[in-house]
Amino acid sequence: MSSIKMFEKPLGMRDKFPQIYEKVEAVRHTGRNFLRSRGYEFIKTPTVEYFDTVGKASAISDAHLFKLVDSQGNTLVLRPDMTTPIARVATSKLLKEMIPLRLAYFASVFRAQETEGGRPAEFEQMGIELIGDHSVFADAEVIVTAMELLKQFGLENFKVTIGHAGVLNCILQDYTESIEQEDVLRTLLVQRNYVGFEEAVASFDLPKTKSDALLQFIEEAMTLKEIRDIEKYVRKNDALEYMQQLAKLLEIANLAQYVAFDFTLSSHMSYYTGMLFEVFASGSGFPLGNGGRYDGLLEVFGSKVGATGFSIRVDRLLETITAQASDKEEAIVVLFEEEDFEEALEKIEALRAAGKQATLQLRSSLVDEAAFLTHFTKVVVVGQEEIRGE
Amino acid sequence: MNELTIAMPKGRIFEEAYQMLIEAGFNLPEEVEMSRKLMIEIPEEKIRFILAKPMDVPVYVEHGVADIGIAGKDVLLEQQRVVHELLDLKISTCYIASAGLPNTTMNELAPRIATKYPNIAMKYYKGIGEQVEIIELNGSIELAPMIGLADRIVDIVSTGRTLKENGLVEYEYITEVSSRLIANPVSYRMKGDRIIDLVKRLKKCVD
Repeated sequence: MSSIKMFEKPLGMRDKFPQIYEKVEAVRHTGRNFLRSRGYEFIKTPTVEYFDTVGKASAISDAHLFKLVDSQGNTLVLRPDMTTPIARVATSKLLKEMIPLRLAYFASVFRAQETEGGRPAEFEQMGIELIGDHSVFADAEVIVTAMELLKQFGLENFKVTIGHAGVLNCILQDYTESIEQEDVLRTLLVQRNYVGFEEAVASFDLPKTKSDALLQFIEEAMTLKEIRDIEKYVRKNDALEYMQQLAKLLEIANLAQYVAFDFTLSSHMSYYTGMLFEVFASGSGFPLGNGGRYDGLLEVFGSKVGATGFSIRVDRLLETITAQASDKEEAIVVLFEEEDFEEALEKIEALRAAGKQATLQLRSSLVDEAAFLTHFTKVVVVGQEEIRGE
Repeated sequence: MNELTIAMPKGRIFEEAYQMLIEAGFNLPEEVEMSRKLMIEIPEEKIRFILAKPMDVPVYVEHGVADIGIAGKDVLLEQQRVVHELLDLKISTCYIASAGLPNTTMNELAPRIATKYPNIAMKYYKGIGEQVEIIELNGSIELAPMIGLADRIVDIVSTGRTLKENGLVEYEYITEVSSRLIANPVSYRMKGDRIIDLVKRLKKCVD
């Protein structure tokens, strides 16, 4: 280990310079207005939580948690996601006041990370949770809200891929002969290892009708345009009916063009009991966000009311919307000499009252005046005519 | 039609995979001038090849700077990156095995394993209930048991000749390796039509 230099930050941590800061603020502003207009109320939870509650319940694996110890010896975590703390606060308090609950957040989450670059250990997430509504309409609302939110940022080239744990389970159950085989196949799907899936199916020595069905399913399931195409693989069940209904609702909402169905979509988390989805957009190599129904997580906190939601990663959203470059804002600097202070104050107040962004600076303090002034679009010197415009 | 960026390992695998693409009906020039170029544009097919070290192909694909790529299963197992594994191209097949000096057993106190694949080796020995110490090397792994650095090596075996010439014998077969077509998860969604078309066409050449 080389010693830490004075300029270094902990692994994966980033400074946010003014230009990026403003972009994030703009995203927050747009997102906040939009989500509030849809009846979602913003909430903030503590940065630090107990490992035994939020840490253990979170979908984020243990290895990615930042852990600390408090003075009583309890293990604490920096919150690794927002869904779990919100599930905690909703079940313990907010659900007693209102049900269903519509909550939104814009907050930093923390993931301890490996050594590779391009993976921040702290990043902002924006999202919603709709808690206390079991219906398919709640899931549809969440998906529609996610898509409309992306449109607020001018995104058109995006896709939402939707699957359902119940449909997948039904297929795996019907076409394999043991729970072990089911688990092997599910794990391979979580890893998106289609080659391994085919090999595993071959190695199971299943009756030909079953193995053929599985292989054909995997080939078709990734490219489904319409939910109809999956029906031949699944016997009639609630999950399938649910998805048919969801598809219909999204069609009515006129958003079917952004939707793809993928019933190989699987989560390593057992909380995702029902519908789940991922959000993709060109411009970032990683998914923009994900969501789904997580009734199971609420049960961990002792409530059976059901919940659904989504979250978007702000850093990746910024990558996809950088194309829309913003103009440099007007920035004025007022330079003054010591004896002109009063006049300088008057001048700057007039500018600020007019809504301008104006900096007041004592001229004699400047070491390199020319370099300093390059950061402004307009320079005013008290007691002189304007010396530089745009 | 979207531009498709394909990360390819330099060398023999590139040539084999390139021939497969031609067989699959892609309009590629018969001869590509490889020399020192790192990028090859094929405007007719809107394809761009980037040439990388085999170990680096999954890196380019995971970060999405390449949409798809061709990577050895050994590399995929070692790095565990988040990519879709779409197709077994069944080229450059070989396997990973452990090897050592003949008629030796592993040190009981602290068995040492030299390898280029620390994760694969660790996982294998954990799986058979052995706690081992891993020594990571970058090449000429066969040296390690010969000069007493390690009891066993874990490495790729294709013909077994290198082992034999260095007086080593194979002990345990670990896993099979071949080249795989992998895809970035976002590209797989956003450029799905092109990628699935390519998989289908290549699949016909494999079987």
